Amino acid sequence: MLKKPGMKSIFVKNKRVLSSPMLIKYLLLLLGLTVMVTPMIYMITSSFRPNSLTFTYPPKIIPDVSELTVENYLYILFKQNFFRYMLNTLYVAGATTILAAIISSMLAYCISRFRFPGRNMLYGTIITIMLIPGLAMLVPQFELAVKFKLIDNLWGVILFYTAWVTPFSTFLIKGFIDNIPRELDESMYIDGGTVFTIYQKVIIPIASPAIAAVSIFNFLFAFEELGWAQTILRTDQVRTLSVAITQFFQAHNRTDWGYVFAMTNLSMIPVIILYLLLQKYFISGLTSGAIKG
Amino acid sequence: MTSAIFFRTSKYFRKKYNVRMLLMLVPGLVVMGMFTFYPIIKMFVMSFFDWKIGYNQVSPFVGIKNYLTVFSDPITGMALANTMFYAVVTVPGQMILGLIAALLINGIRKFSITFRLLYYLPVITSWVVVALLFRYIFSNQGLLNYLLTDVFKWIPEHIGWLSTRWPAMTAMTLLGIWKGIGWNMVIFLAALQAVPEEYYEAASIDGAGSIQKFFHITLPSIKGTILFCTIMLIIGAFNTYTPIAVITGGNPAHQTDVVLTWMYYQTFSSFKMGYAAAFSFVIAAVVAVIAVTLFKVIRPERV
Repeated sequence: MLKKPGMKSIFVKNKRVLSSPMLIKYLLLLLGLTVMVTPMIYMITSSFRPNSLTFTYPPKIIPDVSELTVENYLYILFKQNFFRYMLNTLYVAGATTILAAIISSMLAYCISRFRFPGRNMLYGTIITIMLIPGLAMLVPQFELAVKFKLIDNLWGVILFYTAWVTPFSTFLIKGFIDNIPRELDESMYIDGGTVFTIYQKVIIPIASPAIAAVSIFNFLFAFEELGWAQTILRTDQVRTLSVAITQFFQAHNRTDWGYVFAMTNLSMIPVIILYLLLQKYFISGLTSGAIKG
Repeated sequence: MTSAIFFRTSKYFRKKYNVRMLLMLVPGLVVMGMFTFYPIIKMFVMSFFDWKIGYNQVSPFVGIKNYLTVFSDPITGMALANTMFYAVVTVPGQMILGLIAALLINGIRKFSITFRLLYYLPVITSWVVVALLFRYIFSNQGLLNYLLTDVFKWIPEHIGWLSTRWPAMTAMTLLGIWKGIGWNMVIFLAALQAVPEEYYEAASIDGAGSIQKFFHITLPSIKGTILFCTIMLIIGAFNTYTPIAVITGGNPAHQTDVVLTWMYYQTFSSFKMGYAAAFSFVIAAVVAVIAVTLFKVIRPERV
């Protein structure tokens, strides 16, 4: 509609393969990329060097081929309880994710759709709790964990993680459910549906991108949390990876960086696989809350 | 018309489906009630006692003494100052760099997905891992000192990054910014793609340059996103525990403690439970005041 003679020339100019502004953009992005990935590459290459060499000066980002060894990985995999830690971590993260997804989607549905007494107060409380760091409630929560005999028990972290992530999950999912037309609910009621069938057949399918995104965050949170886990999980058999890595590092203080990095790299494998598989959700759901705000 | 339907439906719900709906509320209320609401109330009570966690110990009531101590203890002040410093540097730092990355990636055609994928890597890497990595890089004989002195020759001798307060806090903020850029980039990228193309076309016709377009179209359009990011990142900054615990552990002499590491120390090393509880409330109040102020200042059109 608004075609002016000038428009065409602009279009042609941008179509050129690498105009100089474009070249600058690529150069800046590459510069940024160097800063972003160099530490990661350094961590990977260091994990394949013998421990003694991780202290030599000057440090090497790209080691000589003759130095490379998988000994660090063998040590972590077969001389340490690594598989136990990994299993514990996946169990905690998985259970937290599933519980939080169920609980927060039901809460979000009720808050979004019904006007029950105390609804505004409940929602207000949820928003307020988002402001308080989970670890700030350390003392009463620790007392509670002692009382319920949840010390050294994986459920001692799962239940608390679920309670910590529920407010933010509810907030994001509620924002999404608010945008689902109520006519869909009503047609289900007319067909004889109940609150449960609507939740199951309307809310869950339509809100699944939001629930998926929230679940990824909850999974990552539970996968990496340190402060509460190291408070509750004290024996080796129940340790999660974050606790185990920290303990391992403190026990081998300032000595075995090769071991430490072999362990950290192995610990990242599930998250990297998840990221590559669910890339779309990592990004789409993250933004569904942000753009609306 | 539609509103009439809504009204009718909501009345319909209220009459017939209340019990089933309440059943759906139960799991959430139980979990949050037990593990969040109850601890918060308990914490409020504890903050007025010299709380003892041991079996059969008596906790004496001390009134507002814990709160007075919070405001007079120099280490608490230092921990709060360190957290503020961390927030004031990392929040704008990662937002600005993340926005720049988003603008650049939005402006290129090839490899934009590759850049996005790789910039996001630090975000998904766990804090324990990146904290150990940075501890290694920032050590005296580490990679950063090597680059600064021997490769680029910007400084004459090695800096003891992690042994004094401000160099250590600088290392922490660099870590925070480095880890956060990808998160901001992804959110801003989506916000930028939601800005209608016509706005820019119209501005081009009016002869606006790219800087004018950025300040008059892009920034106002992503105001809501900026508010969202700011609030989330401030909450995140006050939540910082792992990097400090792993990299310096608050050393030397609590100079690098942030609020949560200091609170953890008070709880499990000094056993001052009541004091830690009072401190938690002060922190929560500080975060709430900041969040409300931001809402008033930025004023998004719709939330």
